[in-house]
Amino acid sequence: MRNVAIVGIGYTPVFVSKRRDVCIPEMISEAVENAFKNSGLTPADIDAVVFGNMHTFEGLNLPHLWSADFIASLGKPVMRIATGGTTGMSAFHAAYYHIASGLHDVVMVVTYEKHSEGDAQVGLMGIITPEIMAMLAAGIDVTGQKGMGAIGGGSAGGISYQATSYLHHSGAGIEHIDAIAAMERRNASKNPYAHLKDPEATAEKIAQTPLISWPIRFGHVCPTTDGATVCILASEEKAAKIADKAAWVWAVANCASDATTGNLIEGIITDPGEQMPATIAAKKAYERAGIQDPRKEIDYVEIYNGFAHQTLMFLERIGMCEVGEAHKLLEKGELEMSGSLPVNASGGVVSTNAIGTSALNRVTECALQLMGQAGEHQVEKEVHKALAHGWGGLMQYVTITILADKPKKL
Amino acid sequence: MEETRQVQGTWDLSTFKFRIEGEGIKNMLKEMKEAKLLGNRCHKCGTVYLPANFYCRKCHIAIHEPAEISDHGEVMSYTIGYADVRGNPLDEPRVSLMVKLDGSDTWIMGAGEDMKPEDVHIGMRVKIKWADQRVGNLQDMESFIPE
Amino acid sequence: MDKKVAIVGFRMKSAPDLVTTRERLTFELTRGLFDDLGIEREDVDTTIFCTNDFLDGRTISNCFLEGPAGCYMRDESKVEMDALNGLMYACMRILSGQYRTAMVVSLALTGYQVSPYLHIEYQLSPIYDRQMRLLNELSAAALQARSYLTRYGYSEELLDAVAVQALSNAAANPYQARRIPGVSKEKVASSSPYYEPLKELHCYPPTDGGCVLLLASAERAKELTDKPVWVLGMGQSIETFYLGERDLFRSPSTVKAAKRAYELAGIKDPKAEVDLAEVSALFAHQEPLLAEALGLLEEGAAESSYQSGDTAVSGKMPINPSGGALGGHPVSATGLIRAAEAVRQLRGEAGENQVGKAEVAVVHGQDGPCAQQNAVVVLGV
Repeated sequence: MRNVAIVGIGYTPVFVSKRRDVCIPEMISEAVENAFKNSGLTPADIDAVVFGNMHTFEGLNLPHLWSADFIASLGKPVMRIATGGTTGMSAFHAAYYHIASGLHDVVMVVTYEKHSEGDAQVGLMGIITPEIMAMLAAGIDVTGQKGMGAIGGGSAGGISYQATSYLHHSGAGIEHIDAIAAMERRNASKNPYAHLKDPEATAEKIAQTPLISWPIRFGHVCPTTDGATVCILASEEKAAKIADKAAWVWAVANCASDATTGNLIEGIITDPGEQMPATIAAKKAYERAGIQDPRKEIDYVEIYNGFAHQTLMFLERIGMCEVGEAHKLLEKGELEMSGSLPVNASGGVVSTNAIGTSALNRVTECALQLMGQAGEHQVEKEVHKALAHGWGGLMQYVTITILADKPKKL
Repeated sequence: MEETRQVQGTWDLSTFKFRIEGEGIKNMLKEMKEAKLLGNRCHKCGTVYLPANFYCRKCHIAIHEPAEISDHGEVMSYTIGYADVRGNPLDEPRVSLMVKLDGSDTWIMGAGEDMKPEDVHIGMRVKIKWADQRVGNLQDMESFIPE
Repeated sequence: MDKKVAIVGFRMKSAPDLVTTRERLTFELTRGLFDDLGIEREDVDTTIFCTNDFLDGRTISNCFLEGPAGCYMRDESKVEMDALNGLMYACMRILSGQYRTAMVVSLALTGYQVSPYLHIEYQLSPIYDRQMRLLNELSAAALQARSYLTRYGYSEELLDAVAVQALSNAAANPYQARRIPGVSKEKVASSSPYYEPLKELHCYPPTDGGCVLLLASAERAKELTDKPVWVLGMGQSIETFYLGERDLFRSPSTVKAAKRAYELAGIKDPKAEVDLAEVSALFAHQEPLLAEALGLLEEGAAESSYQSGDTAVSGKMPINPSGGALGGHPVSATGLIRAAEAVRQLRGEAGENQVGKAEVAVVHGQDGPCAQQNAVVVLGV
């Protein structure tokens, strides 16, 4: 096992609803250029590239083929990783193994999403298209009026079941979802690469947004964003030569459950709020990082929260607090940038969701906090170890990355 | 910012011929005509699947043993819909339930009827309301109603 | 890479129409593999899926395969490319020391689609090529074929010779989907014209199929098999997307990928040291083109090599003794199937298609229009 470090980060200049001025590969190239500027590296320094975005969303099959010319990858190995919402972090993990295996020394991760050129609703519906067709064949009303067709309960679908389950088991109320959403929108206002920003956001303000499907309101839901993120990783020997400051990978882990809500045909449905894969993956990551007590040893957490309740729910699932404790920490202000367990100072996915980048941004945001480079959204406490969480697949796949400010003792 | 040209593209799913696992559903539909539910059980670990699954996800073996399942069960989670897929408001809130039927280890989802949104809760007991005229499709199960 | 990671087992299956579901095929192949090796799903430390969402017609298509592959509550990831890249990722995971075993799962049910070549159209640039409606998988391949034949002064009969050799090998291989008994030059030459100079039997057939393969660290491999096949080297490379900027008659990305793979494997003279090649040639002209890029055939001498029988099962450089992708191309799984076929050769289990000396094999996989991206793996015993 070799030590691996993050030595460069590049974002597109903005993360917004619609980038009308660039096509997809042009937009990606902006983040690549920024990563080179940030790291001082040139294309010649890169041994291999790992590429990821959300499958099918922009109607492009294997978009790395089109992007190859724009990401300084010609003549190099390029690996396309695709695991749904977690893609960005899964790609990061692949880059990690490129280096940890001893086969490569400097590897660049390239992720993007340009939602404005696709139809995310169609893309998401594509997940269950065969099931819907089967249901039609079996005589089910898929519009959700009656019977077993009422699978999703509306647009927020399975997520609402998850939120209900979380509230029930934690004792939290919808007002806590409002409050965490407000906190993240305020945090986002300090992050130049966030999309939905509101420095004046309050729980009361969020509570005024309409309910979509109990207990999910519009104010709890992520936007669709255009943007790209690039991250450059290097082996310990190379990192020492090329970077003054680096964030070090201490552990990577993942876990899959089975496809859940909406999958009537397979007949396998687990509690959408249970999220056992998060618990299993976190446990594995702590073991690999040699962490005995995550609550004491982890200083900062970035949670993948497409929906606001997930920040609280996943903090509990990954063992950063007891079940039923997350909303109490929120009430005490401990999750704020000034608190003892700062979470999503970036504003989280609920504020910015260019899907392919979203799970990678959790890692890069942890790295910025560790290196003290988060600018206005740098948290008050010292950060020595940080945890990044990714969530995706069909609501049943979790990735975890643990970073630190110094290399791991091997 | 200068606007670029836009060109149209499609992903034509109508050109796909999806195949799905049919046997579990077929057996279940046949029994539903008689207002009964049929799933299957893993002979090794005892997990009961509804609809029947061709393998056990825990033991990773093929499974065939049929299992009769009650039409009564418990609400494991729920949601109340206020808007449709495109965000347009609904005329009336819609109750959707995730229910673990007695004797099954998996959950099914369905609409809740004869219950006020504010009364729905996790742990609530419900039963299936069967259609009067059953034809052997999933619409035979009209909804869940309070037990 | 010197005998650190081994292939310890595989299962594969192909047919024009398997009349099955992706879930059932996944279960059947993985259960079969576990039974072959006497292991259970807990013995697989990590799994890498390789499937294509556009081919499957669904988003995040592998999330329904995790249960059937035995990954319920376990470790997995997905490489959305030809599965030879998945094999490389699985190797990296083992080489890192984090995992002792890694499974690669890849499959495609082309029968899901009305047009088997549809998924490639979504790879084309949406702002130019798709609007022009001139390029598709077949027309792009035909441009490449014409460019290759013209450059080296080969006759179109080379395409027939390649196809006859591949389809004859495929006919004797029970794992292949397209098995035409008594295939002849006349039969190939008289098959339906697609895009000149390519005819039906010069092109891969729409195929249902899949392959699963288990890799293990040297230590674990000893416990699992008496016949480990070692991954000795691997490399991969990509070239420009725009066909107009490429010399279609050659494959510089394959040259680069092979150079890296040979370096890792310590191979200095591939023509002398490699015993056979399994190449993902989707169209007849690609087989000699890629074999040249892999350094296995003399550049410009393909026609004589195929005529003299050098590339046949009994020849001095057998290319695709399995029949290659002209015998079956389950999109994504093809590179992994090539690896499994090489394993059969290296273990001396290839039956009628067994080549004489089989100690080192080169395996190739490709992605993109006209093989824009190529992966090369060297296997040995």
